[in-house]
Amino acid sequence: MAELQKGYVSRKTMEIVTTLLTGGVGIAICIESWRSGVGWNETGPEPGYFPFIVGSLVILGSAVTLLRTLFFYNHEGEIFLDIERAKPVLGFFLPIVAFIVISLLLGLYVGTALYILGSMKWQGGYRWWVSACAALAVSALFYLVFEVGFQVPLLKGPIEGWLGIY
Amino acid sequence: MGNFSYLMDGFSTIITGHHILIMIIGVMLGILVGVLPGLGAPNGVSLLLPLTFTMDPISAIILLSCMYWGALFGGSTTSILFNIPGEPSSVATTFDGYPMAKNGQATRALTLAFMSAGIGALAGVIMITLLSTWVAGFALQFSSPEFFAVYFLAFASFIGMSGNAPAKTLVTMMLGFAFATVGMDTISGGLRLTFGIPDLIKGVSFLVAVMGLFGIGELLLTTEEGLRFDGIKARVRIVDVLNALKEMPRYSWSILRSTVIGIWMGITPAGPTAASFMSYGLARRFARDKSQFGKGDPRGIVSPETADHSAGTAALLPMLALGVPGSATAAVMMGGLMIWGLTPGPMLFIDRPDFVWGLIASMYLGNVVAVVLVLATVPIYASILRVPFSIVGPVIVAIIFSGAYQIANSTFDMWLVLGFGILGYLFKKLDYPIAPLVLAMVLGDKAEDAFRQSMLMSNGSLSIFWSNPLVTGIMVLGLLMLLWPVFANAVGVHNLRRRAARHSAKV
Repeated sequence: MAELQKGYVSRKTMEIVTTLLTGGVGIAICIESWRSGVGWNETGPEPGYFPFIVGSLVILGSAVTLLRTLFFYNHEGEIFLDIERAKPVLGFFLPIVAFIVISLLLGLYVGTALYILGSMKWQGGYRWWVSACAALAVSALFYLVFEVGFQVPLLKGPIEGWLGIY
Repeated sequence: MGNFSYLMDGFSTIITGHHILIMIIGVMLGILVGVLPGLGAPNGVSLLLPLTFTMDPISAIILLSCMYWGALFGGSTTSILFNIPGEPSSVATTFDGYPMAKNGQATRALTLAFMSAGIGALAGVIMITLLSTWVAGFALQFSSPEFFAVYFLAFASFIGMSGNAPAKTLVTMMLGFAFATVGMDTISGGLRLTFGIPDLIKGVSFLVAVMGLFGIGELLLTTEEGLRFDGIKARVRIVDVLNALKEMPRYSWSILRSTVIGIWMGITPAGPTAASFMSYGLARRFARDKSQFGKGDPRGIVSPETADHSAGTAALLPMLALGVPGSATAAVMMGGLMIWGLTPGPMLFIDRPDFVWGLIASMYLGNVVAVVLVLATVPIYASILRVPFSIVGPVIVAIIFSGAYQIANSTFDMWLVLGFGILGYLFKKLDYPIAPLVLAMVLGDKAEDAFRQSMLMSNGSLSIFWSNPLVTGIMVLGLLMLLWPVFANAVGVHNLRRRAARHSAKV
């Protein structure tokens, strides 16, 4: 698309993409509830009866929004996101993905510590030992609040096992 | 026994060292989430909820409701000192609050805001005290069709009264209902909308949705806007506080008007955000001298603050008495009540009067505690906002994901939060309202049960919703709400709402 070459996505494009997305979800809801039965049996309405109506209304709402966007659009020329603004958003978003992956492998305490260390070091520009101290402090605080204070366990990985924290 | 003696019983339940300590903790945490970007009241309450499962319900609801009051106050603090609304409902406070603080009258602005907020909140609680048993008693006549009609009314007024495009409200609301139906069907026991994914069998928790939509979504928006906190140094001097208190009576008319607006908008699901904008708009329209508005007019602080807080508290009336929450945060709290095994609605007043009146009594005390605490601690919280975002942001993210994991010890929920975060970012940028989605997720099962039972009673005929004067009346009111934009256009009220929606969309 021409927009992408100029380095931005217009609001209109995103409005259309979103209506297609929600409309698609609506169709998926209808198909899936159709499979659990949308009619009546001897005990009353079947499980899919209500979700089918809900799915149909999602499709209706998406269709109306799509038509309004195409024919009565009042945000002409607005930019949804350009490269300049996308950078900080991605710079914040991608580390979150990394944080989740690391946490699933090594547990939430180690994940949190590494995530805060990384963010402070590379985005905040702090010295590594300042970042490391802050990261350890936050993880320790989490441990005190969740595990000791409220007695709700967080996801743990192999490292806590080696340290004998269970 | 009248409401008054019930209330006194409530006070005797909550005035213990333990409960007052919980109140203070709740308010302090609330101010914190209100001040921090990306952690609003709904999200804060969601994060705290899993931690309260082991507490007794009265302590838990005091903690959560006090967090709510604290968050409302925290939102006003950042509006005034940093020109950054901590909550969407405190956007209107920035219009005059920040200019006044910039003129070197930060303490005056804060005192006016907190005092009028406190008055608004107390007015809301008094209304709840007076009306709740009456509304609950009225609702005792309800059976399934009437309950469905009330849900219909609540959702119809969302579509009709919100400043967003009605079709977009419909989409988010119905998506909320769809998320609520995922998993085991409560009546037939069959699986629904699981798309063959085993992790979806337990369903999608509304807490996960709130954490993603309000938490991660909000943080992504914050980073995009590249927030810079140019705060005003706030030193709270007692003399300034007293002077500001002395001028409060001058604004009694503004306060009274804003209270009425706030209570009305709080009971109907229009919510605090719409209330504060409308109140600001009316204060301006009725002012003889409009020149100072936007430059630090005290009426421009008092009006939105009073309306914001009276709407925030009034939103608990329909939640308690009817089981229909009036705001996103009230919806989250109601979800919490259901997890503790308490079903909000008229029966709660009969089964657990100690709980209901303990909560109402704690609302009086909690708001007074909140006003005092927030005045005393403003400088501390203001300094938290000066901590760079590269530290605060990741800490908030880590808290959100730890909270998401705790809901059901499920790693799948962490991915769901991320998905909801992207959805929230998209929806906020494109002016899709998020509160209806949360409301629909919390109420989904109850609304569906009411609908299915009504259909069973009538053998599948929709005529049951017109079968007696009560249910017909509620349904007609619902249809009127649905068609409200048409009437409002005729009288020109709608433009005001549109303006309100445009402003809140920037948050």
